[in-house]
Amino acid sequence: MRNIYLAGTAAVLLGAAAAVAAVASYTSDAQQSRLEFVGLQAGAEFKGVFHKFTANVDFAPDALASSRIDVQIDMNSVDSMDKDRDATIRGKDVFDVAHNPTAHYLTKSITKTAAGFAAVGALTLRGVTKDIPIEFQFVPGAAGAAKLSGSAKLNRLDFGVGQGDWKSTDTVGDAVKINFSLVLKPKG
Amino acid sequence: MPNQSPPTRYSAVAQGFHWLIAALIVVQFTLGWTAGNLPIGARKLARLDWHKSFGMTILMLAVLRLLWRLFHRPPELPAGMTAIERQLARATHVLFYVLLFVMPLTGWVMSSAKNFSVSWFHQFTWPNLIGPNERAFDVLRTTHDTLSWLLFALASLHILAALKHHFWHKDDVLKRMLPFTKSEKRS
Repeated sequence: MRNIYLAGTAAVLLGAAAAVAAVASYTSDAQQSRLEFVGLQAGAEFKGVFHKFTANVDFAPDALASSRIDVQIDMNSVDSMDKDRDATIRGKDVFDVAHNPTAHYLTKSITKTAAGFAAVGALTLRGVTKDIPIEFQFVPGAAGAAKLSGSAKLNRLDFGVGQGDWKSTDTVGDAVKINFSLVLKPKG
Repeated sequence: MPNQSPPTRYSAVAQGFHWLIAALIVVQFTLGWTAGNLPIGARKLARLDWHKSFGMTILMLAVLRLLWRLFHRPPELPAGMTAIERQLARATHVLFYVLLFVMPLTGWVMSSAKNFSVSWFHQFTWPNLIGPNERAFDVLRTTHDTLSWLLFALASLHILAALKHHFWHKDDVLKRMLPFTKSEKRS
């Protein structure tokens, strides 16, 4: 009986080891990848992007337990195509980039879904860390490259993004949609 | 219609358009000019949010009003007016119609250039007419501001002229645009 347990444990460990071995490591192509947010302002949608961010991805569809997505975002690189709004967003009441220059997202678990994959990860934004689920597709490409694209939703006020007058959700909605499209190249 | 004699009073529809739009314009001046003096922030954004919704309302009303005006004859100007007075009155009214369109349109394009899309009371969003363009925004903003002063001057002239007709000439030019009054011919 004991031997069976041992054998079983060994098999699981071997399986885990095999899964670890099966994960491919990628890093995002800065030029081609895109990270966008969509908010609601004065009743109308507005979009912005982060020009500078890096995603390090370990992923294999058959080794999700050891897969992970790790994204570092340079908050100063925010661009909503209006300099006044960008200055406000960088300011202390919104992103407060002077004190919180980067945001970080790291997945804790990834699961298969009917449409692709789902993950839950810890997002650190403006000094607050909170779990945020994402949904994504993973499409392998040529020469070991891949594309990882998907979306997420979060409430900005959960992270304190919006102090003072910006706490009100009458003019700027609480819900923010995130869209990402990561062009991944294998780590050399 | 050419054979019909012109009405002596403005119709209820014409009066409705006139007073509704006049009231909205007063609101627009209050919102627009006070928002212009606010620093960039949530309060300015909120005020301009209302300003844009009311502005687009005026634009829609202006379309309806112009269509309505094309098919309905207004009352004639009083007989005693000189040729110059008539031309001035006509020019003022044409310019009013032009501004009813140009004010909201410059505001709409200006919002588009700033990449702040225009919502209508948070019910739906109007499409951006042009892409983000800082220089276009600066030019349009100046245009919108300058035209607001022209509109203010024109409205002042319009009100003073109406009062002059009523109190000086004692004709029914003002009364025929007022609801709940009767326009008896005063000589």
